Amino acid sequence: MKPREILRSAIRALRMNALRSSLTMLGIIIGITAVILISSVGQGAVAFISNELSSFGTNFFSISPGSDIVSTFSGGGEPIVLEDVEAIEEANISNIETIAPFSLTNKVVSANGESVRVSIYGMTPEALILLKPNMIYGEFLSDDDRNSRIVILGSDIAEELFGEDTDPVGESIKINDIRFAVTGVSKSGGTFFGSFFNTAVNIPLEILQDQIAGNEEIMEIDISVHDTDLLNETMDEVESVLRDHRNIDEDEDADFTLTSFTAALDTFGTITTLLTVFIAGISGISLLVGGIGVMNIMLVSVTERTKEIGLLKAIGAKRKDILTQFLIESAVLTTIGGIIGIFLGVGGTFLIAVVAGIPFIISVPWILLAVSISTLVGVVFGIYPARKAADLLPIDALRYE
Amino acid sequence: MVKKDAVLINLKGIIKRYPIGIDDFCQALNGVDISISQGEFVAIMGPSGSGKSTLMHIIGALDTPTKGKQFFKGKNIASYKEDHLAEIRNKEIGFVFQFFNLLPRMSVFENVERPMLYGGVPIEERKRRVMDALEAVSIADKAKNLSNHISGGQIQRVAIARALIMDPSVILADEPTGNLDTKTAYEIMNILTELNNKGRTVVIITHEDDIANFAKRKIKIVDGKIVSNTKNKKKQS
Ligand SMILES: Nc1ncnc2c1ncn2[C@@H]1O[C@H](COP(=O)(O)OP(=O)(O)OP(=O)(O)O)[C@@H](O)[C@H]1O
Ligand SMILES: [Mg+2]
Repeated sequence: MKPREILRSAIRALRMNALRSSLTMLGIIIGITAVILISSVGQGAVAFISNELSSFGTNFFSISPGSDIVSTFSGGGEPIVLEDVEAIEEANISNIETIAPFSLTNKVVSANGESVRVSIYGMTPEALILLKPNMIYGEFLSDDDRNSRIVILGSDIAEELFGEDTDPVGESIKINDIRFAVTGVSKSGGTFFGSFFNTAVNIPLEILQDQIAGNEEIMEIDISVHDTDLLNETMDEVESVLRDHRNIDEDEDADFTLTSFTAALDTFGTITTLLTVFIAGISGISLLVGGIGVMNIMLVSVTERTKEIGLLKAIGAKRKDILTQFLIESAVLTTIGGIIGIFLGVGGTFLIAVVAGIPFIISVPWILLAVSISTLVGVVFGIYPARKAADLLPIDALRYE
Repeated sequence: MVKKDAVLINLKGIIKRYPIGIDDFCQALNGVDISISQGEFVAIMGPSGSGKSTLMHIIGALDTPTKGKQFFKGKNIASYKEDHLAEIRNKEIGFVFQFFNLLPRMSVFENVERPMLYGGVPIEERKRRVMDALEAVSIADKAKNLSNHISGGQIQRVAIARALIMDPSVILADEPTGNLDTKTAYEIMNILTELNNKGRTVVIITHEDDIANFAKRKIKIVDGKIVSNTKNKKKQS
């Protein structure tokens, strides 16, 4: 028989039992939807985060207090202070481009009778090179400003305090009842992390330490390098300078942590791979369960259609004819399930992309893989029922009640 | 084609046993000898359970004998494998059953076409042949109907059309009129008679005398044995 004819009668047989066919497909639909949805959303998230990370540049690394990321946030351990920054500066490491320490606190700022609680970053003019702020009014911190009570406003804060499209340079604001002169307004571009700075204000580091926060603690030192290829070597050098300075032996755990975005990207890549394997496992199980469902229904169908098989054999169907008919039926069933799953998965991905604001990425290889897998499931799990049908003796099939 | 009067089917000492349980069996045929020649019209008669259907299934290569020799067109097919027998059924034999004659979910046209799909008849030829066959049994107007949307008599006509489609050597009909009222039954028998008049070999099973009287020869079987095998003198027409 011609493939087209077998296909046609397969679809007709499935339509006869439309409800049962759809229920049988459910496992496959869920499995394929999950594969498409998670792989596409995952890819969108990866693209999104990689983009964010690389918008910071890969030519720098950070030093934060604590031996790992947990103690960085929970405090404890010896804080990092300006002397640590000076120790690195004095080491004169040639690959270092700039060293920018940051502190962070949270205070109410007020101006024009408006008050708002914001993040206040303390930074030095060196931050210019790392942050590359986009100044919409005025100037960023300059060398003369290290000890001045001046403030650079994030664009959202400037708007909140002074109104839209108003240049506040020359005005002043109060932080902790201390007057600061506004010298600039910065607005970051579209990235997610960048938008943090639009809702913060920046003041000179030492002013923040002495007059606002009342402590010497530095949240993070960011160091940019000239040659990114030598980033790891430079990090090693900085680490040993700091160990020396802080009297930490080689065999002790350091009470500070160096991280680079390159390393973060690597970690992120590993997490993504693990996630992909995990998804593959879950979808594999769901497809397996779906496949067993298909086998079960095909067995029922073979039993129900025993007399029909007998009749087909009586008019000349060979073993191979019956085998292909049932195999194709089962493969069509799962392939349709797979295609429905792809539509649902792509639709779901689109919704998530719109809602979460991540790129809508559809992976054609994954879709092709999904279709092939769903067809394959139909063939593999259809073999047993199809063979059962093909092996029926014509007379037993005809006499079956 | 085998020339008229040449022996088409020849059974010698056919025994058929069906196993029942572990060490018991039911002997459905108990040494049957039959010879059917080209162009004959034979009615096989007998009480229920006497082995009529079993005999027809063996003649039609749907089943194989437990013992005995079975010649079809001179070839001993008793030991043929299933796929080989399927080919013989496809090309040489046209079946008409009492129940479950047509494939569900399919149109009349597709039912009649189906044996040609297995027989590898090219598509251009198939449509013409289906319509010719349906016309021969006066049911061409129902070609597009689904097989479950026609009457019992029409079903038997379609079954006959399908049985004829591969131009077989013999039509085997197992109680083809068992489900029909007398008038419709006679119509079906007239179609079979007409086919036989044109030279087609026809074998029918029936337990009704008036139906058997359409045939030229009557074979009576009881308990798996032939008890009489005679020319029909009261032949209807
Ligand atoms: N698969 C089987 N297993 C066991 N016994 C069987 C089987 N098929 C048929 N038989 C037995 O073989 C005998 C002959 O059956 P068969 O169907 O040939 O009878 P029949 O003459 O066609 O009867 P009817 O007029 O009722 O159709 C019966 O006793 C039946 O019970
Ligand atoms: Mg019978």
